[in-house]
Amino acid sequence: MTMRRVVVVGGSIAAVTAIDALRLHGYEGSIVMVSAERHAPYSRVPLSKDVLSGASSAETAQLPALDDSVDLILGDRATTLDTTSRTVELASGARVPFDGLVVATGARPIRLAEDGQTGELVLRDLPDAMVIAERASHATSAIVVGGGFLGMEVASTLLDLGLAVTLVDREPPLRRLLGPWMASLVTTAAVAKGLRVVHGSGNVQLIGDPVDGVRLGDGQTLRADLVVSAVGDRPAAEWLASSGLPVRGGVVVDEQCRVAPGVVAAGDVAVVQRPAGLLTRSPHWTNAVEQGRVAAISLIDADNAVEARPDPYYWTEQFGLNIKIVGNLPGLGSPEILDGDVESRSALLQWGNSCEPVATIAAINYRIAVGRLKKLRAVGDGT
Amino acid sequence: MRIDIDTARCEGHGLCAQVAPQVFDLDDDDLVILRQVGQIPADLEAAAASGARSCPVAALSTSS
Repeated sequence: MTMRRVVVVGGSIAAVTAIDALRLHGYEGSIVMVSAERHAPYSRVPLSKDVLSGASSAETAQLPALDDSVDLILGDRATTLDTTSRTVELASGARVPFDGLVVATGARPIRLAEDGQTGELVLRDLPDAMVIAERASHATSAIVVGGGFLGMEVASTLLDLGLAVTLVDREPPLRRLLGPWMASLVTTAAVAKGLRVVHGSGNVQLIGDPVDGVRLGDGQTLRADLVVSAVGDRPAAEWLASSGLPVRGGVVVDEQCRVAPGVVAAGDVAVVQRPAGLLTRSPHWTNAVEQGRVAAISLIDADNAVEARPDPYYWTEQFGLNIKIVGNLPGLGSPEILDGDVESRSALLQWGNSCEPVATIAAINYRIAVGRLKKLRAVGDGT
Repeated sequence: MRIDIDTARCEGHGLCAQVAPQVFDLDDDDLVILRQVGQIPADLEAAAASGARSCPVAALSTSS
């Protein structure tokens, strides 16, 4: 099929990278980007940190503008995909026809509030960050539900803003992601800065309408001026329900990010079907960049389609720690200290396991080029 | 086109250098540097802009 018009649904880094890759790989036809967001593409990364704290304005998160050859439709959500007529229908009623389609609609935060219960705060997009910042400006206390990267970053920023912050989760913060050793290091730093950590077995329930607290599984209740849920996200794939495309949680792609003829997907909305049948999802910036690139190539240059290479690289900033990690998570057991020292919280660390002598490398408040981190791991890996 | 670097924001994630190695590199301190001084050659503009957009902390901007 001659590809004259590619529609990219989504407005974040996977969508933007796909658009860049289309052009870089020689596609000269028309490109339409459809985004539910009112803002031109921006980075979500600073939202939980400098944008939330007010240290940086919202504008500083903006990504450099796409060139004029891309038509942007902002503030209009894709509601239906018709794969027969090859048309995307939007909330405004507009119908956008395509020859090629990139699905990059991202994800939506999971909410804990009951239907109709108001006041729950989440952090996914720029308006979310602005709402939390505004609420925080006349609050003295906050509860953050969820001790993952996002929850801990939000807790750290709110603490820096002077709020009394309680973090609630069923398990110790970050343990599932980072393993017990590093999770403990971060939590120790967090508690030293004043974070209160409360573990509760069972589900956390939001109380009040508007929400002003939580009830833990054991019945204990906590109250605060604001309650932020950071309990994960779900691929924003509902609009594909009637499309006939494979949706299992997210839209199912192969390792070349292909969904169906002339349809590819990338980023947080995608789940990858591995050859063994396993479905995996990597809702991280680096993965969105890689999948955006691969999806574009698969769409316009099928003969030269490439596999999205897993590039496990994660970073977070919280409680005075800048952490960069390359490799498998969680690191198991205690790491070998390659340089620096843990006492002063500036160290280069390495974990091995029975299969790989260097499975994970982490730099904590330790300046090292990311490329060098990756090489350290690759050398140990023998790859 | 020119690329402007906000060195205070750069955290050395290195994605720009992965996306557009012809344009971006990292110095010994982990920070982004440009391989070309001044004006980006026309044939590298698309790659340069793409590399700038890959920055997770929006440390890179483009101007004409």
